[in-house]
Amino acid sequence: MNKYTLHVSGTHCASCKILIEDILGEQDFIKNSEVNLKKETVFLESDKGIDELIEVLNEKIQNHKYVFSREKNVAKPTDDIIWRALPLGLGVLALFFFLQKSGVLNIGIGGGVTATTSFIIGLIASVSTCLAIVGGLVLSLSAKISEDNVSDTKTFTLFHLGRLVSFALLGGVLGTAGGAIGINFTLTAILGLVSAFIMLLLGLNLVGVLAKNKIALPSGIFKFFRNIEHKTLTPLIVGFATFFLPCGFTQSMQVSALSSGSFVSGMIIMLAFALGTLPMLALLSFGSASFANSRHAPLFFKSAGVVVIGLGLFAILSGLAGLGIISPIFNI
Amino acid sequence: MNKSVSIILTLGILAVIGIFTIGGGSTPTDNNVEIRDGIQYVKIDAKGGYLPRVSLAQAGIPTKLVMNTSSTFDCSSALVIKKINYQNILPQDGETEIDIGIGEPGEVVDGLCSMGMYNFEIRFD
Repeated sequence: MNKYTLHVSGTHCASCKILIEDILGEQDFIKNSEVNLKKETVFLESDKGIDELIEVLNEKIQNHKYVFSREKNVAKPTDDIIWRALPLGLGVLALFFFLQKSGVLNIGIGGGVTATTSFIIGLIASVSTCLAIVGGLVLSLSAKISEDNVSDTKTFTLFHLGRLVSFALLGGVLGTAGGAIGINFTLTAILGLVSAFIMLLLGLNLVGVLAKNKIALPSGIFKFFRNIEHKTLTPLIVGFATFFLPCGFTQSMQVSALSSGSFVSGMIIMLAFALGTLPMLALLSFGSASFANSRHAPLFFKSAGVVVIGLGLFAILSGLAGLGIISPIFNI
Repeated sequence: MNKSVSIILTLGILAVIGIFTIGGGSTPTDNNVEIRDGIQYVKIDAKGGYLPRVSLAQAGIPTKLVMNTSSTFDCSSALVIKKINYQNILPQDGETEIDIGIGEPGEVVDGLCSMGMYNFEIRFD
């Protein structure tokens, strides 16, 4: 048995320790692996020679974007990226607010609400201020998941599936229940605030503010989160929860579903609406996944972080105003 | 990209965002206020925001708000008026009358959409 200390690069998150140790633990030629995130090293015991070992391990782990090496890889100057990401992300935000302000999105659709109109309303909603909350949440979660685990498109597919199914089902329920139930404004506002805080946290994490101090929590907690992130049920539930997020368009569609009078018509209205929002949201989530594989990945994640922080702040301040806690700041 | 260029760009874009979201010259108006049979009606259009933003109404008269919607699907249809505990989703087309009682001089009634990014106010004097 030889004892080695290898350098490992690409460890951007605290859960990387668990992941690497898991993978190393599965190899029968390795004993006692231990990752030190601070030094970016891994200590292990193995019978193999060091060069062979590095080659074999890099092959096993290349899907996860970590690289083992004998010498410490000189870190690329990543600090400059934030200075490119900042104007880029803010530019996207400015464009977004400009679109809202311009009134381009206030397209009038006459007549009653049919499947076609609710589909079109969904399309409009997905680029409207609703994007600040639903889209921001999708972007931050997708970017975070892509950053942690490249090519995990299953999670996104489940999220969108959960969203479509729950919109259809809950739309049907609204249609059946008629005026008996109403969507509570305060509840949606609080949910909106919660998701805005999640966005803010994930955004800070993506930008790298929180990553600098990778606080090594007990590994049990990380295992717990990692398990949650990869459970089939979680993205389904998050997709389901988006039904209740505050979005004026969703709320008016819910009222249309309420007054539609039957399960099928309520279901069709909400499903068509969700389908309308799908292209934009799918672009956000699958776009993040494909960017994660490109060489622009660091710039993308940091820019996405800036956008998400901006939208999160907007959503928090608006949500607090909506609850009457602070006086309204924005009027777009 | 050069760091200082980037900082200047960043500040510039921040200023633009600030103008888009926070600014907005809102001259108070009473063109939309009408008194009929001893009741004061304040008409406000709700679509992609509220117009007019600031309405001037007279204090001491029973006042009704008339929300005018036409193909309104966005947030402005989800109206919240904290002062009178009003939370409702306006019909997509039509006029909705809301009783806001009798205003005191200097009182301001705020209306918001449920997400909080559109708002209007009625000032009594």
